[in-house]
Amino acid sequence: MDYASSEHASGHSPDHVSGRAADHTAGRAGTAPLAVKILVAGGFGVGKTTMVGAVSEVAPLHTEEYLTRAGVGVDDLEGVDSKFTTTVALDFGRITISDDLVVYLFGTPGQERFWFMWNDLVSGAMGAVVLVDTRRLEVSFASIDFFESRGIPFVVGVNCFHGVRDRTAEEIRAALALDPQVPLVLCDARDRGDGRDVLLALVDHLMAGQSATTG
Amino acid sequence: MRHWTEGFDDGDADEQLVRPYTITSGRTTPERSDLTLVTLVTTLPEVSTQAALAVRRMQPEHRTILGLCREPRAVVEVAAKLRLPVSLTKILIGDLVDSGYMWARSPQPLTRAGGLPDMTILEAVRDGLRKL
Ligand SMILES: Nc1nc2c(ncn2[C@@H]2O[C@H](COP(=O)(O)OP(=O)(O)OP(=O)(O)O)[C@@H](O)[C@H]2O)c(=O)[nH]1
Ligand SMILES: [Mg+2]
Repeated sequence: MDYASSEHASGHSPDHVSGRAADHTAGRAGTAPLAVKILVAGGFGVGKTTMVGAVSEVAPLHTEEYLTRAGVGVDDLEGVDSKFTTTVALDFGRITISDDLVVYLFGTPGQERFWFMWNDLVSGAMGAVVLVDTRRLEVSFASIDFFESRGIPFVVGVNCFHGVRDRTAEEIRAALALDPQVPLVLCDARDRGDGRDVLLALVDHLMAGQSATTG
Repeated sequence: MRHWTEGFDDGDADEQLVRPYTITSGRTTPERSDLTLVTLVTTLPEVSTQAALAVRRMQPEHRTILGLCREPRAVVEVAAKLRLPVSLTKILIGDLVDSGYMWARSPQPLTRAGGLPDMTILEAVRDGLRKL
């Protein structure tokens, strides 16, 4: 059968993929929305699931994936020298923008080392929110490194647990060694309005990047 | 008109499934590389009677998927509902797409090497978020 291409794995092609019968339903095919993906990342316990739940129209859903990687060259997973398989959990939510557009928000697994094995999770993402907890900034360093190294646009959301704002945005920026271009927003991960504002900061950031290169 | 999948189970697959690889006849890796977490899959509104009968001989999970996807659903949502790992869910969905019961729409291409998101889509997302 003739499938568009394996490039779909990296989310690069908008083509419809379908079985034989789809030929008879071309009109209907146009009625499915587009899906866009935003990642909500950050270290263990920084409020990823909380933020996904705050902005999602459904309670966060939970699923798992089996990840497998051949042992050759797996030097970041000490002690593993044969085929490595693990189960990684993920939770996600949804925001229906319109009949034509749905945003899926993925709370990424806390252990970033698995992201490298899970291409489907990060490929094709519109961008990411990295949440940090001011009391434990270091747990989110790896997330920031990851998106920087992959060239995936991101914003930083500073989750102010219990309203603790004992450090200024500038201090946090410095501690994170954040690129001055990367927006940093203070928020409460439990608050829908705050979650929305963090996502809007991401979209504005993407739009600014867009006009910077085209204009 | 009744949808041909009416009566298929679209409730939560509640009991923990203990035979994940039996469902896929031992297959552990999806053959189709075009199904991603956010590929939207939809059960076709009409299939031949013969095809409708054939699906009754498939795994119960296949029928559950067809029931779930009368409205477009992301692969990851189907996995969550079925309580099956994403890769196994992809195998089952792949079976159904291959045999013409479902069609799949790939996600909007947004980030590519050196590329940037489509401005129209960004504006639509921004306007939608503002209404939250
Ligand atoms: N007071 C307060 N508690 C919060 C806030 N955000 C999250 N929490 C709590 O902090 C804990 C961790 O939040 P989660 O949303 O589960 O964090 P997570 O990043 O998904 O955690 P993992 O998935 O385990 O890495 C939960 O008990 C939340 O209720 C916040 O802004 N203020
Ligand atoms: Mg979580």
